[in-house]
Amino acid sequence: MRKVVWILLALSGLGALAQTQVRISGWGGTDIAIVNGLLKEVVQPKLDKEGIRVVYEPIEGDYTQWLFNALSAGTAPDLFYVDIFWSESLFATGKVEPLDRYFSKQEVAAFLPNLVQGFTYGGKLYGIPKDFNTLALEYNKDLFDEAGVKYPNQQDTWETLEAKLRQVQSKLKDVAGLCVVADFARFGPFAFATGWKPFDEKGQTVLDQNFRRAFEWYTGLVKRGAARFAQDLGEGWTGGCFGGEKAAVALEGAWIAGFLRDKAPNLKYGTTFLPLDPVTRKRGNFVFTVSWSMNAASKNKEAAAKVLKALTSPEAQQWVLERGLAIPSRKALANNPYFQRPGKEPELNRIVFQGSSAQGGVVYPFKFRGYGGDWMRPINDALLAVITGQKGVDQALKDAQAALDRLTGRK
Amino acid sequence: MRLKARTLEALYALFLLLPFLFTLLVFFLYAFLRAAYFSFTDYDLFSPPRFVGVENYLRLFREPLFLTALKHTLAYSLVVTALQTLFALLLAIALNRPLKGITAFRTVYYLPSVISTAAASLLLLWLFQRTGLVNQGLSFLLAHLPHLLSLGLLFLAFQGAQVAWARRRGEGVAFFDPALALLSLPLALLATYALGLFGVIGAQEVRVEIPWLPTTATFLGIPYPLWAIILMNTYTTIPTFMVLFLAGLKGIPQSLYEAAALDGASPWVIFSRITVPLLRPVLFLVVTMGLIGTLQLFDQVLFVGGSGGAPLEATITLAYYVYGNVFPSGAAPRVGLASAAALFLAGLTLLVVLLQRRFGVSERGWAG
Repeated sequence: MRKVVWILLALSGLGALAQTQVRISGWGGTDIAIVNGLLKEVVQPKLDKEGIRVVYEPIEGDYTQWLFNALSAGTAPDLFYVDIFWSESLFATGKVEPLDRYFSKQEVAAFLPNLVQGFTYGGKLYGIPKDFNTLALEYNKDLFDEAGVKYPNQQDTWETLEAKLRQVQSKLKDVAGLCVVADFARFGPFAFATGWKPFDEKGQTVLDQNFRRAFEWYTGLVKRGAARFAQDLGEGWTGGCFGGEKAAVALEGAWIAGFLRDKAPNLKYGTTFLPLDPVTRKRGNFVFTVSWSMNAASKNKEAAAKVLKALTSPEAQQWVLERGLAIPSRKALANNPYFQRPGKEPELNRIVFQGSSAQGGVVYPFKFRGYGGDWMRPINDALLAVITGQKGVDQALKDAQAALDRLTGRK
Repeated sequence: MRLKARTLEALYALFLLLPFLFTLLVFFLYAFLRAAYFSFTDYDLFSPPRFVGVENYLRLFREPLFLTALKHTLAYSLVVTALQTLFALLLAIALNRPLKGITAFRTVYYLPSVISTAAASLLLLWLFQRTGLVNQGLSFLLAHLPHLLSLGLLFLAFQGAQVAWARRRGEGVAFFDPALALLSLPLALLATYALGLFGVIGAQEVRVEIPWLPTTATFLGIPYPLWAIILMNTYTTIPTFMVLFLAGLKGIPQSLYEAAALDGASPWVIFSRITVPLLRPVLFLVVTMGLIGTLQLFDQVLFVGGSGGAPLEATITLAYYVYGNVFPSGAAPRVGLASAAALFLAGLTLLVVLLQRRFGVSERGWAG
């Protein structure tokens, strides 16, 4: 009997040897459940036939620090998440494998072009977008009903939306229309709607008249009685105010759904697009996205490419979408029946999905060359100073421009 | 071969010290030497380091953010060290009395130092919000200023009357005699309440809305958010140093105090001529540890300045500057520059401690 056991053990050992291991990593939190489910139900069954075993190592804590260290030390996994926000500075290091060799043009074309563009650097593709988010406007139906104000809709301009928010705020004394944050991640889309670009041809940032128009509108919301400053309500993001019914609308992506599910499961909310700039009649938006990218030092690149394809395959994306976990990145999903289901979450996900398309208007990926947070900080400081009444618009923009000029080397 | 006893002893000592020597060598000396090397290169974690001479050090002093960090670090260190040393000493003296239930008090006063900085930072954010407890407290105080003023004035009037009456009967009493105050205070309270009831004085509409955290405004050259951190850190560090002082106070012979009492020394003379001089070794420890700890302020800046919404320019310190350059948000690591800043911080700490030893308080006596 013992002999049989030994032989079985030896055979299973041989089997393990014949398998190729591919290590993959991403951040922890809710992603662990998603990736584990995806691996178990969709990815691994497919790869078993090819003799590939996926080893998943989620990272809790500061993922960016971990990844930069691991890539530098040569211990990084074969595949890993890359957030669009720091993608350029990572791609510039040469530690990430260009994927053009492994994916045909057709395969790449199946993904939303905005996202693919976001992970293209120096003409090469460095990541396959796994999912994404854009901003949408969520509104609390009960609060609007209570105030007797019409719901926000996709024809709203900044002005008509503001009028609605003002009405809600004046009718319901203890509820803000919106709680504004001093953050470019929320203000940016309004600036993009005016036609302003974060960088000009020379790679420099000019806070022009268009930017100023959006800036004045956004920072003036509090003074004009349409919004309150989030920190004054004890919140750090518009979703927090919304979930606590301290504000009637929020400007967030689909990530708000999970938060609301926990915090306010009975909250009745609807979702619509961000409002239009009354002058250009356009809207703007951000794409927040994450890719699967490959380690340039990986020893199993072919196998890793197969895993990457399985992780972003139509079946995998369908699996993720149906569970309402994230918004996958394939074009074909636009007509997916999931988006047409009744209910607040499918509606939210549909609007967020469409936010990256022509309906979203002027859409930029949430990245700022290699500057990252250093680039956003002067603008955030300016927003904060004006919203809290510490500086006038002129002074704040002058200071921000000076700081941006120092950063980008503009004379 | 037989080893001499001394050699054997030395070997034992070395053997027992080995783990510490190992960590010292690897995590301190090696890390230090590498940082020193990187500070002269443009290392970014990925491309091989390229020698750039003292460029990083020169660049530091051209960066407004670094200069701000330097200014904040020094100001913070001086203010917090002074405040926490003073209050820890006073608190220790107060808690060194043979009173009933003093152990319970000592525990209560020690509690703040048990709070983790993350939890304390959350409390701080909550207290210093624009609609937080601090502003509400200030609003309440200012709104009831008439009440407070009348309470004060009435108390003085009642107390004055009582003292005058007592003196007329030939009793020598001090103006703030506690026994008399025990009567004056309730009387003043009642009278104030009555005045309020009849509408002679009324509360005003005052709303203090000082933005303590999302601001770059300064007081005495230090930004508001940094003041908030100063207050919190002083509050949470005092208890630790208080325990050290308490231990020191226990070491002062009681006979000295008795002798002083026989000679009729005043409390101030006892404090300044006996307590403080004999506490010098502890004082030196507390001041030195305080300086080193405060110069390396980091976590509260991360919590309050990072996620708390205070602008970076209003809270940044040298330690945060180092961190922010090794892992800048969304940008490539600037390890060379960060190493230079880290070495500068190390040098600064050493210098400040040496200066303190030379011109401040040292183990043996008042230097200088």
